[in-house]
Amino acid sequence: MPGHVEVQELVKHFRTFERREGLWGALQNLVVREYKTVAAVDRISFEIRPGEMVGYIGPNGAGKSTTIKMLTGILVPTAGRVRSNGFEPFRERSRYARTIGAVFGQRTQLWWDIAVVESFRLLKKIYAVSDADYAARMREFNEVLEIERYLHTPVRKLSLGERMRCDMAAALLHNPPLLFLDEPTIGLDIVAKENIRAFLKRVNREYGTTVLLTTHDLSDIEELCPRLMIIDHGRLLFDGGLAELKRQLWRDTTVKFDLKDREQAQRFEQLEIPGIRREKLGDLTYLLSFGRDDRPTADVIRQVVNAVEVLDIAIEEQSIEEVVKRIYLGGMSPEAPPCNP
Amino acid sequence: MQSVALEFARIGFLNMLAFRLRYYTGVITYFINVTVYYFIWRAIYQVDPGFAGFSFAQMTTYVAVGWIIRSMYFNNIDSEMAEDILEGKITMVMIKPVSVQWSYISRALGESAFRLCLLTTPTALLLGLIFPVLAPASAAHFAAFLAAVAGSVLLVAALNFAVGCCAVRLTSILGLLRAKFWAQDLLSGVLVPVTLFPAPLRLVSRWLPFEHIGFTPMAIYLGRISWRQTAEALALEAFWIVALLAFGAWFWRAMSRRIMVHGG
Repeated sequence: MPGHVEVQELVKHFRTFERREGLWGALQNLVVREYKTVAAVDRISFEIRPGEMVGYIGPNGAGKSTTIKMLTGILVPTAGRVRSNGFEPFRERSRYARTIGAVFGQRTQLWWDIAVVESFRLLKKIYAVSDADYAARMREFNEVLEIERYLHTPVRKLSLGERMRCDMAAALLHNPPLLFLDEPTIGLDIVAKENIRAFLKRVNREYGTTVLLTTHDLSDIEELCPRLMIIDHGRLLFDGGLAELKRQLWRDTTVKFDLKDREQAQRFEQLEIPGIRREKLGDLTYLLSFGRDDRPTADVIRQVVNAVEVLDIAIEEQSIEEVVKRIYLGGMSPEAPPCNP
Repeated sequence: MQSVALEFARIGFLNMLAFRLRYYTGVITYFINVTVYYFIWRAIYQVDPGFAGFSFAQMTTYVAVGWIIRSMYFNNIDSEMAEDILEGKITMVMIKPVSVQWSYISRALGESAFRLCLLTTPTALLLGLIFPVLAPASAAHFAAFLAAVAGSVLLVAALNFAVGCCAVRLTSILGLLRAKFWAQDLLSGVLVPVTLFPAPLRLVSRWLPFEHIGFTPMAIYLGRISWRQTAEALALEAFWIVALLAFGAWFWRAMSRRIMVHGG
């Protein structure tokens, strides 16, 4: 089915050659080599339905790009199964490529030394896009991406942001039902980022294009992807919505109180609410943290306000960055379910 | 598919035009090469006017026309491919719905078309004016020569693609490319006619595709082989083209399974 991706127990091993140290080691290397097998992707399974926008995140070297390269038919999987747009990507690469679009943020699919429009002409031929469709697509791309003024410039003279807009247009020239983006916003300034995001939203809305994107910029996910998958060391750690991720990992609520004066501060310190951690930030500023599921936040606030004179209250939001950082550093804690079935 | 190949060829053509200096140095390089070989052979022929069964005029023609056609069939897709594979740019070729082999080979053909118009023709005129180059043995010989040269272009493209595939397994392919570069120039007979090779080398070169790149068209041009031999040589050249294209397609299929592209 177009726009549908199904991945089962996908594995990619890379065999790398281990260099021995020293002169004797170097001589040994000439004769016998030792290889080490690294699992870049280790038994990953997921399914993406037509029209979904899914974010795929993980620290550097987690296996994101390797997954994308298997999904686009560039790398052959070591084991497991991929069915995408009804094709087996590597085996049917050439026919499959016709039905997908792909952007790799660190590379360009445009020809480096020649004007952008020449690359577009070639892509138009390759994907057999009709003249009418081509004109319509270009008009549409120009509305959001404003690429018209770069069309006659060689790619090597474009800025990164300009190049990325052109690459995005190039990937979508044939209106594929499925789009893979590997770090599409890497290195872009905020204006270019927003431009790219607006364009992706529009494409997804108007054509129901399925999008899978990897990124290090979590605001990409917050703005674009109702669903995200987190990968590390080749394993899928989480698959679900952003809100769900926060709910699973954000177990503590923190409330900040600004008190009226020292007398109130003394009373505050004597206050006894069981199961609460207290932290002094400043003379009159305190943090209270408690298990989010233990009690309603309103209860805690009410207890404090009834006993002490408070000037200001702030409930601290845990940012998505912090949540994700915790996963990267420590992995998901055991009590959180690792991943939705 | 045909028009796609044409577009790829166009890109190859445009790529060559992108840099002016590269173009001018190209013309000069060929001129220098022919001049050097002209004087070397002149020195030899002053000692032995009947050297190797060639007259001096024939040898001059052999050298000049040999380099002129080399300026056309030569391409760099082996090193371009190696660079694409080693730097991971091959991903950009592989996400397109075209055969990887044909995209490189059509690019090579486009490069040859460019070279024919802008490099080979001016070089031929320049060399023809300066050196005493003989006309082809006959119009028929010239037609057969053109067919052989068209074959050379395909042969070199097919060969370079197969060599480029090796970059998948090698972290440093420069040595291999250099070796292939010199082997091609030597064994194709552009430096020395293959008939002057010592017997063992001649035996080797006979079973390799290289001599069809340079020597076969030259032998036809000078009318040094019979029509029967010409037909055989052209058939053998065609065989090598098909064989190398088939080998390249198979080799790429095998090699592409081992591609590793890290990061980005």
